[in-house]
Amino acid sequence: MLGSSRIWKRRPLGFAAAIMSGALVLAGCAGGGTPAQNGAQGADQGPADSGEVSWWGWTPDQAPADAYIKAFNKVYPNIKVTFKKLTIDGYDAAIRPALASSVGPDVFDVAPGAANGSVDIYGVNALDLKPAVEKVLGADWESKLAPIGVSSLKNGDKLAALSVGSVFSGTIWVNKDLFDKYNLQPPTNYDEWKKVCETFKANNVGCFVQGAAQTAFNEDTLQAISNNVQPGVWVKAIAGEVPWTDPTIVKALTLWKGLFDDGIMQEGALGTQQYPDANNGFMSGKYAMVMMGSWYMQYSTVEGMTAAISGAGVADPKPFTQLPIRFPDIAGTGNVGGVYGDADFGLAVNQKSKNIAAATTFATWLGTSTEGQQVVADVLNDIPALVTSQPNWDTVKLVNPEVQKPALEQLIADAGKSSEPRLATVVADLQTAIGVASTTVAAGDATPEEAAATLQETASKIQ
Amino acid sequence: MTSTTTSKTGRRPSGHSAPGRKARSGATRPSGLPWILPAFVFVVGILYYCIGETGYLSTLDWDGVNPNPTPVGFDNYTKLFQDPIFYQAIWHTVVFFIVTFAAQTALGFGFAALLHSKIKLGTLYKVIVFTPVIIAPATMAPVFRQMFAADGQLNWFLDHIGLSFLSQPWLAQSSTAMPVIMFITVWNFTGLTFILYYAAMGQIDPEILEAARTDGASNFRTLISIVWPGVRGTTVALAMLGVIGALKTFDVPYLVTIGGPNYATEFLGTYIYRMSIPSAHVGYGAALSVMLLILALLGAIFVAVRANRKDGDTGV
Repeated sequence: MLGSSRIWKRRPLGFAAAIMSGALVLAGCAGGGTPAQNGAQGADQGPADSGEVSWWGWTPDQAPADAYIKAFNKVYPNIKVTFKKLTIDGYDAAIRPALASSVGPDVFDVAPGAANGSVDIYGVNALDLKPAVEKVLGADWESKLAPIGVSSLKNGDKLAALSVGSVFSGTIWVNKDLFDKYNLQPPTNYDEWKKVCETFKANNVGCFVQGAAQTAFNEDTLQAISNNVQPGVWVKAIAGEVPWTDPTIVKALTLWKGLFDDGIMQEGALGTQQYPDANNGFMSGKYAMVMMGSWYMQYSTVEGMTAAISGAGVADPKPFTQLPIRFPDIAGTGNVGGVYGDADFGLAVNQKSKNIAAATTFATWLGTSTEGQQVVADVLNDIPALVTSQPNWDTVKLVNPEVQKPALEQLIADAGKSSEPRLATVVADLQTAIGVASTTVAAGDATPEEAAATLQETASKIQ
Repeated sequence: MTSTTTSKTGRRPSGHSAPGRKARSGATRPSGLPWILPAFVFVVGILYYCIGETGYLSTLDWDGVNPNPTPVGFDNYTKLFQDPIFYQAIWHTVVFFIVTFAAQTALGFGFAALLHSKIKLGTLYKVIVFTPVIIAPATMAPVFRQMFAADGQLNWFLDHIGLSFLSQPWLAQSSTAMPVIMFITVWNFTGLTFILYYAAMGQIDPEILEAARTDGASNFRTLISIVWPGVRGTTVALAMLGVIGALKTFDVPYLVTIGGPNYATEFLGTYIYRMSIPSAHVGYGAALSVMLLILALLGAIFVAVRANRKDGDTGV
């Protein structure tokens, strides 16, 4: 190829270049690998009470994460945990190559279902945490943890992650200060909701905000409406036990469309994202109501709300009183108050981590220890995984304790009674199809019947 | 002109080239291969390896993580040719290219011509026109989302100048979301078109322009008949880049509309991402990527062939 076998004598630089090229080829090949070759186990587990642990997740917010880490460091001062918060939409794109490499995070978030960080997908990269949990909680460990956090974070037989806590949806959060300002009461039915929105609109205040462009959140609202029409049908449709063309689903889609047509949903909802747009709209006081779940409890505290308002771009944040209310009875059936939820996120230990022992210490401490779960309870981001943990209301500084505490206690009690899953049983393609149904109906591109039929067609292919 | 004769006959002028080649052939010819080999291997090793790997992935049913992907042959391609969103994305790309290329060319050419005419504060205008090129779309996306929101600045402005009947939720409607994406792209890249035209216009022989003016040609006539043909090479290059850029469009639609509403701003790039990452259909996403590569090559070849044919016809 080079024209002469003695080229190295005549053209030493050229020969060196050729050798370097060969080395580059080999280096390039060495860096590759088929999918089947990825997934080696970490060899060195490192010490359990010292080292550096990197943790990647889309949740919690930075402030709760800092609170968790601070509490952890009181017990394990020699383990330095660094939390890297990624966006909801960007998490999968970041974590997939990170886990395929040998320099990924030591601890990473996973969640049940097909949403970001699906345990079904990324669980293969996780260490089985069952032995570690048995070691700290004993052989009857499962009875000490919320069942929803154990069953939904398994990957096969492996306990792929430890639930930090659960989140539930089906609630609307209201800015009580705005309601009080205009002498309004939170709506309990469709007519009241319309009147409330008319009043807010007349005063140049947004009423209800939803980021309908981020379609996963449309599922929350549709599930709430469907449960209002007939409880349980939505979950059965996801399981394939009833068709998506069931009258309850069609009715739910019709009512969903009504929210857009009757001025309840904000104008331009289909071009709005739940995060950051809708969240910022509510936190900045532009809107009085937003469809969010129990994870919004954390903004009931002075510290949590101040940070959230500041994060929404308000220069001089002043906390307001926010309250969870039951989804209004827009179907007129009286079926209200139901919430549905999953394990919010679980901490998985990367099996390629070079600090497996320290990473496992952190995950098990936060997910199973009394101290760790008390911090989780007090931060109010999640309903704790350890069944005995409850918020210590004496230390939680709410913005308006007198009004907020009973409402939050009620929400926690409702969540404790619920066994209805939120996203855990929805596969990715079905989630996409539900999203398309929600936006085509809202835009008027399809009737509720047509959208339901298309949804059923897609669902039948998936199943 | 010599070039006209050459291209029309389709033959190289004989004479000096053949002896030149002969003189440099054989044992005394310095071989460049070893010198380009590192770069060659780097390109082949990185770029073409990735293309090959993508081709291989397109034959799998794989979520991107599972160590045991399922080989499915060409099933992903069969599925792709039956996928209405795929055709919708291609249609969007075609419309997007035609509109943005036409707008950028008109604006870029116009700005370049104006700024060649020694106007006051010309340097300042150049900076203003070119600045959007260096701003990352990720930086500007939230600004445009806010500007075009239903309660955004555009509607506020329309309301305050008595055009409230025009205000609407721009990003929430299929009919207006795509024009917004096109507007942002034109805003973002017109500076690049301008700078290339500006440089190309500087290469036109001033004597030709002088001669045109002496013959009584107006400014507009000079622009159309002298300057525009004179920068034809730049236009062809921009068209080629435009085709490839349109096919690769991702950041603006993803960051501003997430490809919606209802796939109204879905491009191949956003669809590949949607399939590969949130939906975890990495094999299908790879098949879409291979199709994107093929379409980009075909588009670039089509523009180049058309340009060469026109060169042959006109002798330019």
